[in-house]
Amino acid sequence: MARAVSAFEIQRPVHSFFIGLGGALLMAALFTDYMYSNNSLMQWSNFSAWLILGGLILALVSAIVLAIEILLHRTGPIRWLDFSILAVAAVLSIINEFVHTRDAWTTVVPTGITLSAIVTILLLVAGLRGWAVTDAKPGEGL
Amino acid sequence: MSMAAPVRAGTLFVTALLLASCDGKGGDPAKQYGPNPVLPEPQQYLIPPMSVPQAVGWKPGETPTVPNGLRIQAMANGLLHPRIVYPLPNGDVLVVESNSPGTKPFRPKDYIQGKVKARAGAGDKGGNRITLLRDSNGDGVPELRTILVDHLHSPYGVVWVAGMLYVANTDAILAFPFTPGETKITAPGVKLTDLPAGPIDHHWTKAMVASPDGAKLYVGVGSNSNITENGFDVEEGRAAIYEVDRATGAKRIYASGTRNPTNLAIQPGTGKLFAVVNERDEIGPDLVPDYLTSVKDGGFYGWPYSYWGNHVDVRVHPQRPDMVAKAIKPDYGLSSHVATLGVAFSKGETLSPQFTNGAFVGEHGSWDRDPLNGYQVIFVPFVGGMPSGEPIPVVTDFLAADRHTVRGRPVGVALDRTGALIVADDVGNTVWRVSASRQ
Repeated sequence: MARAVSAFEIQRPVHSFFIGLGGALLMAALFTDYMYSNNSLMQWSNFSAWLILGGLILALVSAIVLAIEILLHRTGPIRWLDFSILAVAAVLSIINEFVHTRDAWTTVVPTGITLSAIVTILLLVAGLRGWAVTDAKPGEGL
Repeated sequence: MSMAAPVRAGTLFVTALLLASCDGKGGDPAKQYGPNPVLPEPQQYLIPPMSVPQAVGWKPGETPTVPNGLRIQAMANGLLHPRIVYPLPNGDVLVVESNSPGTKPFRPKDYIQGKVKARAGAGDKGGNRITLLRDSNGDGVPELRTILVDHLHSPYGVVWVAGMLYVANTDAILAFPFTPGETKITAPGVKLTDLPAGPIDHHWTKAMVASPDGAKLYVGVGSNSNITENGFDVEEGRAAIYEVDRATGAKRIYASGTRNPTNLAIQPGTGKLFAVVNERDEIGPDLVPDYLTSVKDGGFYGWPYSYWGNHVDVRVHPQRPDMVAKAIKPDYGLSSHVATLGVAFSKGETLSPQFTNGAFVGEHGSWDRDPLNGYQVIFVPFVGGMPSGEPIPVVTDFLAADRHTVRGRPVGVALDRTGALIVADDVGNTVWRVSASRQ
């Protein structure tokens, strides 16, 4: 390591933390959708509905944090590719939440689980690229 | 690298999905009256269909509308969510004031749907009691109003047989010793039998009638969901009509697959059991018609696997083609989402010659259909013992003229000793009495 990192140091940008958290919930919904499509037990579909809602709330939190970071010049320029991938994933997840308001089988099969799979692929790409949608400002700590 | 491609693809996909989910307006309800209603292709919504008028209640002097030759008056108001009216042999009228015991939300949708339905007055607390109205001279103005029984648990059906008043709470039938003429019951009820209730208790009402000889009680038990979205395990023993032995409390399922049998009636003369049943939601504004049907012993009426005979509902999984093959077509469609809650056979020409032979049906009104449907009491004519021909509106204009606010919603209907039609109104908190104006 180039320098000592304090345990209380907040790494910037901060929005990537919330994106990663929400992304995990949205990807988990693919698993619960798969379980429902496999065993027809409604509770798995209910889990999906809550996971996607949780992911969307964290997406909103991420967007607010991102806006604050940009306004306060606490972060580098926006990386539009990452931003677009995550924006598409969020929009598809909004649709997916509505699909999950249907009743019984059609909450998941075929549209819900398809959307969950597409969102998961997008999020895997975004996650492997580091979750952040901006470049970090070099040398910034708390 | 171009940013535009994924964005454009995403936008296209979203647009396609939104277009695919575009829902049309409901068609003419008249196409769905009778034994062969027109059934469009089912659709899947993206945004759950919800369309409810705002409950505003009746202003002083306002009443629903009845045809020429009839008159309508408020028999009682200020009630606590009256659902069922039941005339006793001595002319007293019992009013069951009740509402759902309350259900806990399972998923995000449940919170929103509950709030929307509450807008139309569906969320008001019920009285959990039975009020007695005594109108000795039959002028529609009760001289006495007392609380007959209090502290019930979401009661609905009520029947008096051989010195006992049976009350169907949402979880059990209670029996109270009672002689018509009495105005207060203080003795605790004795449980005759349990009825399927919690957990959830989605369709909570327990409609009840006695067989013509009084030996059996028939009880309507609704499903625990719209279409199994609360799981199959909570549907055990539900969506059925039970036959309860009045002497022993022993019960059996008399008919099944009836999604929500909200009321029952015995046909005069034949002694046949009839039911009004509310069918499933959220596959289109014109699916599935609620119905009036004679109930066959051992009959299966489709829910959840199919509707109107063998029209498969794809939302149910696993599917059961063997059950679909057994499903009976109901006798008479009442059009979709009207939410029939009351049914009573006419007793000859007490109101008007056109209402001599048939059944009055109370339609609580739709919550998931645009334009709104129901919100009236209709008369279904019978020919040769079976419902036949177009229904005739009897009590209308529960919806205000703007069609966006609702003053009352009809529930249970009954004919009193004079042959007047009594209607419970659980949003107007009123009991209406419709009589021939010549009297």
